[in-house]
Amino acid sequence: MTRAPSLRALGFLSAWGRGTAALPDDARAAAGGRPVVSCGRPEREGERFRRATRGGLLALAAVEAALDDGGAGRAAIAGERTALIYVTAAAYAPSNRRFIEGRGGSIHFAETAPAVVPAEVAIELGVSGPYAIFIGGPPATLRAISHGAMLLEAGACDRALVLAVEVFEECADLYARARRLTGSPLVEAAGCLWLERGRGDLRLESGGGGRGAAGLRRRLGETFCCEPLAALDLWRGRGAAGTLELGGRWRGETARLVWTDVITAARESAA
Amino acid sequence: MATAERIAIEAAGVVTPIGQDLEAFWSALVTGTSGISQIERFPVGDLRVGRGGEIKKLSRIKAWGRVPDCRATRLLVSAADELAAHAGLRSLGLAPARVAVVLGTALGGVEEGETALAGDGRRRRLRDALYDAPAHNLARWLGCRGPVITVSTACASGATALAVGADLLRAGEADAVVAGGYDVLCRFVMRGFDALRALTRDEVRPFDRRRSGLLLGEAAALVLLRRERDASAHRLGTLLGSGSASDATHISAPDPEGRGLERAVRAALRAADLAAGDIDFVSAHGTGTPLNDPIETAVLNRVLGRRAHAIPVNSIKPSLGHTMGAAAVLEAIMCLLASRHGLIPPTLHLEEPAPGCDLDYVRGSARPARVRVSLSTSLGFGGCNAALVLEGAG
Repeated sequence: MTRAPSLRALGFLSAWGRGTAALPDDARAAAGGRPVVSCGRPEREGERFRRATRGGLLALAAVEAALDDGGAGRAAIAGERTALIYVTAAAYAPSNRRFIEGRGGSIHFAETAPAVVPAEVAIELGVSGPYAIFIGGPPATLRAISHGAMLLEAGACDRALVLAVEVFEECADLYARARRLTGSPLVEAAGCLWLERGRGDLRLESGGGGRGAAGLRRRLGETFCCEPLAALDLWRGRGAAGTLELGGRWRGETARLVWTDVITAARESAA
Repeated sequence: MATAERIAIEAAGVVTPIGQDLEAFWSALVTGTSGISQIERFPVGDLRVGRGGEIKKLSRIKAWGRVPDCRATRLLVSAADELAAHAGLRSLGLAPARVAVVLGTALGGVEEGETALAGDGRRRRLRDALYDAPAHNLARWLGCRGPVITVSTACASGATALAVGADLLRAGEADAVVAGGYDVLCRFVMRGFDALRALTRDEVRPFDRRRSGLLLGEAAALVLLRRERDASAHRLGTLLGSGSASDATHISAPDPEGRGLERAVRAALRAADLAAGDIDFVSAHGTGTPLNDPIETAVLNRVLGRRAHAIPVNSIKPSLGHTMGAAAVLEAIMCLLASRHGLIPPTLHLEEPAPGCDLDYVRGSARPARVRVSLSTSLGFGGCNAALVLEGAG
């Protein structure tokens, strides 16, 4: 058991639009036969971003959406007291593929590393505190939230950003070959959760199951690690309070996060 | 910041270019054996540099029938075989659901992706190309049914894995954690570092005036972590604390002032509730690149203060190559073995320290020393920095 963090803000973007309010009722129907629904390449000015990966640009957009949600400017998260915890199952796959296929030397080798996506955020926003990078699906995102809570509880940081990003378009044919495209379409997404110290309890259970995930996936599509952040955004959007349960499944592993008193402390601190 | 609960490191298992068990690994380190050779497993004729720390033949496991045809998984299984034997894993009576696997990697199963893109149509290849596949393969082989976690903080991944594994125990989510790191040599990574001109045609010479770059290596290294109160008296040592920090300066190059590394080291010392004066030995990241070594030296000078020049420092990367995800775990194990044997392995090929590299580097031959508390440092692409503070069992 860990001291639960409070939810200060949440930014969620997907190929359907900004926030979970943009989700269709039925992702499969909305995809209209497309196996992958892409976010495209977010536009951003500046030479530094000319070669940035789509994953890095989406990550920045998600963090900025969280800042908007929290009514805060960049300065609020800059510095060494902000932890950055990144999660992805496969956002590195497009850059890995490009490098393996050697398409015109168009990619710098360092950009194949998963670490480069949170680095774009760290560099642009000056986030220089503790960090971790978890690779996997929804259970990895629940793990990242738990890790952020531990860092906050230990006093290693004053705020923790949990950043999740998935991009699929460049590897659509490979996902089809691997039969990852059964059921829902793959939907690109990114989310950023801004956590601060809270006062409830947080418990992460392995083998806890994924309650509610099937219904969400019907609307959202398959977003790998981004799914729990969409679930959290929907929960918040319903005006819910108190205890939240988030579940996730990946490669046969299930996990469940039980999080009490999610929002209260943040509301108080904002007030 | 709260002091971290101490975590016991009960046992270890390794597979490296200089030895496929702890004894051979240690013996090769102290006798100055090099594991660097011409790479034979895949074509390197088009690269500037075709040498590295390649494991020529995996010798521990005789029957590979139950293990996926994935080199990363096979390195891990080889290391796990030794770990299981040292730890008596099967006789500990642990419930499988209470045993976690936490692995660090810079490359995951990327070689499977290379193979698939080259035309191997098996679906398994593509699934194993995702970076978390080898960890799940290892968990299945070990019969562990607790959390299976992959972390990828580039070349600091091994340190991150040990830190996350320790946190799982502290949070009560597992009773034992098989933690470690791995990476394989493959075309992908050799081409990448070759294109960056980071590889040397010479030997790897950390902190040396003539240093001209790194060489890569492949390895897997695993340890069994347990809460101190649950651990047996017979152990390798203890993880006292860990720290991490982002540079937030550049995608691939380290911060010229090493501020992220300094924050990581200071955080690890705080978590261990120790002062710089308590450190007996430093296992440096020590890649032998022009940028890394003076930055690391400057950081150690700042953190260790007046004692900096009295604390022995080494790098084992000239012996193994830079083993990426495995590096920090191998270095942590080396620290604990140094404590056990009262001996610090030398930094191979370090002959004349460079200007700006003014610490007490262990060179020439292994040095007898009393090592209780060690500091191990790691840096990686994306501005990842990590530090571990370890205590040997003596």
